[in-house]
This record gives sequence, structure tokens and C-alpha cells, in this order.
Amino acid sequence: MEKLNSKGIEMSFTWIFAIIVGIFVLVFAFILISKIVDTGSRQSDAKVAKEIGILLNPLETGFEDGKTASFTIPANSRIVNRCYPDGNFGRQVIAVSQFSFGKWSNSDIEVGFSNKYIFSNNITEGKTFYIFSKPFNLPFKVSDLIYITSEKDKYCFIDAPEDVEDELSKLNQRNIFVEDCEDDDEKIKVCFNSNGCDVDVRYESGTVFKNNEAMYFQTDALMYAAIFSDPWLYECQVQRLMNRAELLSELYIDKLGFSASRGCDSNLNSQLILLSSLTSRFNRSSELASIKTLANNIEDVNNAAVCSLW
Amino acid sequence: MVNQKGYQKGHENPLLINKRGDPKGHENPLLVNKRGQLKIQQMAFVLLAITLFFVLAGMFALIFLMAGLRNEATALEEKNALLLVTKLANSPEFSCGGAYGSDRVNCVDADKVMVLSKNIDKYSKFWGLENIEIRKIYPKGDTLVCTLSNYPDCNSIKIKSSSSGDVSGYYLENFVTLCRKAQDNGITYNNCDVAKLLVSYEQK
Repeated sequence: MEKLNSKGIEMSFTWIFAIIVGIFVLVFAFILISKIVDTGSRQSDAKVAKEIGILLNPLETGFEDGKTASFTIPANSRIVNRCYPDGNFGRQVIAVSQFSFGKWSNSDIEVGFSNKYIFSNNITEGKTFYIFSKPFNLPFKVSDLIYITSEKDKYCFIDAPEDVEDELSKLNQRNIFVEDCEDDDEKIKVCFNSNGCDVDVRYESGTVFKNNEAMYFQTDALMYAAIFSDPWLYECQVQRLMNRAELLSELYIDKLGFSASRGCDSNLNSQLILLSSLTSRFNRSSELASIKTLANNIEDVNNAAVCSLW
Repeated sequence: MVNQKGYQKGHENPLLINKRGDPKGHENPLLVNKRGQLKIQQMAFVLLAITLFFVLAGMFALIFLMAGLRNEATALEEKNALLLVTKLANSPEFSCGGAYGSDRVNCVDADKVMVLSKNIDKYSKFWGLENIEIRKIYPKGDTLVCTLSNYPDCNSIKIKSSSSGDVSGYYLENFVTLCRKAQDNGITYNNCDVAKLLVSYEQK
């Protein structure tokens, strides 16, 4: 009987060996396939993020006052908006997470741009996204600000000033309402003359209250920025805008030298140096008021000059 | 039913008979070991073949994936450059704004870009482009790169150059107006030329 058993053990060993090796091969193949799927998903996220950034290029407005566009991503997606203020211009970063196989993909692949300023919530979720842009001047053009909202986030502007209402109506953006929307609880209410809404705007004092935090603005471009973005993101992007304004001031100071040699002295040197200094020390949006006062003075001098600098 | 060894069918002594029918104690040990070794060798070969197959298949898949990725990255860079070149002239660092009369689209301020070319280190990664150059296209003549000493008597402003120093490889262009202030007999006037804005992007 022992001999029969030993014969059985010989067969079993072969099978056990084959099964163990088979399991190893299958596990290896499974890991490989899941890695490939994961890499493919990350690749897709990174590609979508990069394409979104590229799609924003045509939104450089030139001289028009505002431009709107929309784009649709096939899968339900989250656009993660991150901002880093360090360096000469800081960095605008977009990451995309797509919903597939019943879960959200990782959004750790970041695509960065230095020349874009996107204002949105930290995470904007949906399939269709609306974008509009508006130039920001201080007093020369600093950049076009880009506002991204999802079709899911519907904004209701209540008692907005006439020019703001006109501008928003002309945009014809499907998720922005300016009339007869007060009673719809699903909409995000932006109030200009009352308290207790999702976003409260004090237009005259240049303050926007959102998530119990105050954000300060000086132009309509920054007001929209404050309405559509998270407070910390707004502060970071405004910091980046001031970095660019500082370098542009320096550019115009140097340009003054060229102009002066051809009989075109604009008499703006000292004020531009002051603007450069103020923007370089910029820390919070509450400091915008003093910068805007100086910018208005500079604009007056530039407009009155024989050769305007910009 | 008696077999060759004298046992009745179904009553052989299993302890005394090996696989090939040799009586116990009479197997050829060399043949038994060889058969076992052969089996192990076969299995080892099969395993080796399977492993090699997976490794090779994985390598091929990786090569194709990498090639696809590289092509996609280059295509995206091209798309970026294509869209950027049409709008770059309107960005604040280039644009004339209202400095030369009414606001002009696709108008580049020559004085501003000369200053920009001096300070380009600060803007090295700002637009994500390898080269940016503006070339006057009229009057035609040899390329004379602008420096602070020969400006404005030159016809090419190299704003950003790659390490090789030339606009080379894949580049895209757009027509722009290149304006500056000029003076003649004490009178200051706007001098505008037709020019090309050339940009090149990094090939991945």
C-alpha cells in the first residue's frame, strides 16, 4: 500500500508544482494587466488635462471684452484646479480624474502652465464644462482670466448691476441665469444687494463673501474670479497675477528708455517703479485697493501722454 | 486467467511489480531516473517558454505604448504651438495695445519685444515654446539679427532661442504687424512693418 501512495505523491507533486507555477504566472499576468490599465487610465487623464490647457489658448481675448466656449469630455470627469504661487509667474496646474469601472481614477498626474489663470472650484465635476474669459488690466493688460464651471453648477445672479447683467446675458452661457431664478433651490445664488446667499457680493466696496471668507476685487474680471473660485485658489491666482504685473511693469520701465530716445517721454517712470514695488510685495487681495488707486493714476498719465506706453 | 508470472488476473502482487512490469528489485534505475529527469526538464522548458513569451509580449507592448505616448505628446505640443502662435501676438508681453493709435489685433510692439528678449531668462518656461522669433518680411534681404546696438536697423528679433540658437525643426508661423515709434526731423511717428512670428516647439 505504501508503494501505491508514493506513486500518488509523484503525480500530486507534478500537479502541485504546475498549479503553484500557474498561480504565479496568472498573478504576474493580472498585476501586469492591472498596471497597464492603470497606466492607460493615467495617460488618458493626463492627455485630457493637457488638451483642456491647449483648448484654453484661443480664449486669449485680444481686445474683445469677454469670450465663452464649452467642451465635453466623454466620461464623467473631475477637473482639479491647483495653483502654486512660487517662482516668477507661479504655476497653474490641471489634473483630471475620470469615472471608469465604477471608480474615479487617480488625479495625481498634473499638467502645468505658467501663462494661464484659471478660476474655478478646486474640483469641478461633470461632462460638459463652460469657459469664459475676461481681460484683467492694471492698468495695462496683465492677462486674460479664465473661468471654468460645470453644467451641474447653475448660477443665479440676483440684483446684479445693469452692466454685469448685460454682460452675463450676452455671454449666453447655459448655466448662468440672471432672471427669474430666485426660487430655484438647486441653483447657486449670487446676491448683490442681500445677505445669506451662497455668494454675497458687495459691489461698491469690492468684496465677495463665499464659504464665510472675504475676497477682495477691483475690477469685474476679478469679481467673477472671486464668485466662481474657491477663496484660497482666488488668493493664489491673484498673487500670480501680481507677479506678472510686476514683470510687465519692469518691461514698460525698460521700454520707456527706447521711447524717450525718440522724443516720447511718457513721464511714467517713478509711478511704474512704485507699481512694480507694490506688486512685488503683494500678499493678499485686501491690498488690491491701493494698487488699483495707483493703477488709475498711471492710466490717466498714460492716456494724456503724446506717446502712450500701451 | 493466469498471467505470465503465474498470478491470477486481478490478483497480482502490486508491491512486487513496478510500472514497466519489472519485478521488485529488478527495475533499471537508470531508466527510472531518466524518465523523471525528462519530465522535470520538459516542465522547466515549458515554464521557461511561458516566461519568455510573457516577457517578450510585455516588451513589445511597452515599445508600442511608449512610441504611441511619444507621438501623442509631440502631437499635443504641435497643437499647443499652433493655437499659441495665432494668439501670442495679443499677449501683454508682445501686444501693441493702444500705443500705436487704435487697438490693433496681431500687432507686436517692437520696442517691447526688444526689451523682452533682454529679459527672456525670466520667461524661459512661460509659453512652453522652444524658439520665438519675429522676422520682417519686407524689404527682403539677408537676415540681420537685432541687438541693442543695431536696433532698429535689423530685420529679425530673436526673443527666445533654444540652446542651438536657431529656429529649427518643427516651427509654425503667423503674420503680424511689427510697430515701433520712429523719429524724422524731430517728428515722432508710428512705423509699422509686416512680419512673421515664428515659434517652434519641443519634439518629444
